[in-house]
Amino acid sequence: MTIIEEISEYLQKGRAKNVKALVQQALDEGIDAKTILDEGLLSGMMTVGARFKRNEVFVPEVLVAARAMNAGMAILEPRLVEIGNEPVGRAVIGTVKGDLHDIGKNLVAMMLKGAGFEVCDLGVDVEPEAYLAKAEEIGADIIGMSALLTTTMPGMKNLIDLLEEKGLRDKYIVMIGGAPVNESFAQEIGADYYTPDAASAAETARDAVMNRRSHAS
Amino acid sequence: MTNRENFLSLIRKTGYERVPVEFNLCPYLQKQVKERFGTSNYREYFGFPWKYIEDIRLADHDPKKYLSYFNPPLAEDGRIDQWGIGHEPSVNSMHMTYMRHPLEHMETLEELKAYPFPDYANGHKDHQRLQVEEARKNDLIALGDMQVTLWEISWYLRSMEELFCDMMEENEIAEFIFDKALEMAKIRAEAFVRAGVDVLFFGDDIGMQHTIMMSEELYCRWIKPRLKELIDFSKSLNPEVIIFYHSCGYIEPFIPHLIGAGIDVLNPIQSECMDFEEICRKYGDKLSFHGTIGTQSVMPHGTPREVKEAVWRNLDIAGEKGGLMVAPTHMLEPEVPMENILAYVEACHEYKKGKC
Repeated sequence: MTIIEEISEYLQKGRAKNVKALVQQALDEGIDAKTILDEGLLSGMMTVGARFKRNEVFVPEVLVAARAMNAGMAILEPRLVEIGNEPVGRAVIGTVKGDLHDIGKNLVAMMLKGAGFEVCDLGVDVEPEAYLAKAEEIGADIIGMSALLTTTMPGMKNLIDLLEEKGLRDKYIVMIGGAPVNESFAQEIGADYYTPDAASAAETARDAVMNRRSHAS
Repeated sequence: MTNRENFLSLIRKTGYERVPVEFNLCPYLQKQVKERFGTSNYREYFGFPWKYIEDIRLADHDPKKYLSYFNPPLAEDGRIDQWGIGHEPSVNSMHMTYMRHPLEHMETLEELKAYPFPDYANGHKDHQRLQVEEARKNDLIALGDMQVTLWEISWYLRSMEELFCDMMEENEIAEFIFDKALEMAKIRAEAFVRAGVDVLFFGDDIGMQHTIMMSEELYCRWIKPRLKELIDFSKSLNPEVIIFYHSCGYIEPFIPHLIGAGIDVLNPIQSECMDFEEICRKYGDKLSFHGTIGTQSVMPHGTPREVKEAVWRNLDIAGEKGGLMVAPTHMLEPEVPMENILAYVEACHEYKKGKC
């Protein structure tokens, strides 16, 4: 097994210390930081995500894997900055105004990072204007909204209305999720994507950004 | 049958005469009920079958002693509960609050051991017996509500993310917190049972919308044995006490484990997550059920007729001997039309076994 494969394996098992040490070792051996990122850390997280989607692993396994990835990223990040590595895309996410639930949203943030995104997590109870301001500030590709309550899910439409009003609707890929949310609701309010779980959200976000870039070029 | 006889017979699947009505209203809807029906006690007004018996009253509860556990500090309008868990309101969130976990940043067993867990052992219990007597006098079932029992109270204290990681690492922090939760649950359950409650209502969320929250292996390693110990202990004090158990979401793989742990009634069988007919067919010989009327679907979005049909369909599925205390699965939130709540009540009153 190569050191890169080992990084991926240990990450999948959530072994943060091993991942950290191996990332350092790989850098010391002169392995390209981008390769360590893509084929070690992100590949490991994608495997965990795929298992999560197939119900082979559950939230705890994702959490420890995400922590292992963070441990590896802490070592790798300065090197990635040096080489000017660009993320797969940029995402702004948060739980909608009036809703204070964040466990699902936090999982989505972890999975997006695991798919190579730069993620700006606005937390809970987020006003439509705050999503938009942050998205404009960081040049986001994706805006992701979460809601756990039937009371708060209609608030998702407020951001879409705001984007329309400002003439910015096509600039962003709007994704929604949360326990009571479903595909027909996404269509009803005009969101681009609904995904039923965090791993699907990351996969869909990645595909959507790639797709948009390929059409733009 | 008296109300008590009817309830007990329905739960024990030995037949029933009336369908009990039971639901939980958010403060906004409580206000609506008050304006429309002139009552501030909707449970009594709609004739709920049970009365909640108060928990042990702590002799000493000074929330200020927990303030130092929050970093960043708890919001000024934040509230601290008996366990030291912080709850921060938001102007946009009505009755909901954001939870702050006092044990979240602890790294050693020593820090945990120094934490002032609530002293239930030395709390006041005399009111419980009086409240149970009052319930009996009014022909009501006496219920001890201990939801958020072991796993959830542990995660509220520690944060879900930290506790899951503790469990995965098999560390002593998880062991200590779960043992503490069990120790205190046993003290509270004993007080309720000795006061004479008919029902103990336990609950820990272990399901998400479409999947289980953790693997069966992790559940059986950490939670199931403690739930079983709590139920065995409660039933050793009174074998007749009925154990209700709540978990949101999809939990089918856990149901055999819950049966193994000794629960009697499963709540709420969220209709958006599990098919009641299938669950009843598979497990109805070992369990009774409470809930089944979806608060993500038919209660907020259905017509009154659809609410009634859901109630009747599920009662038909359970059968004429009972085994289903039909009710909305969760608290009814502001967007649930009053007409749908009244339709649920009417459906319970109008139900004729085997005729729908």
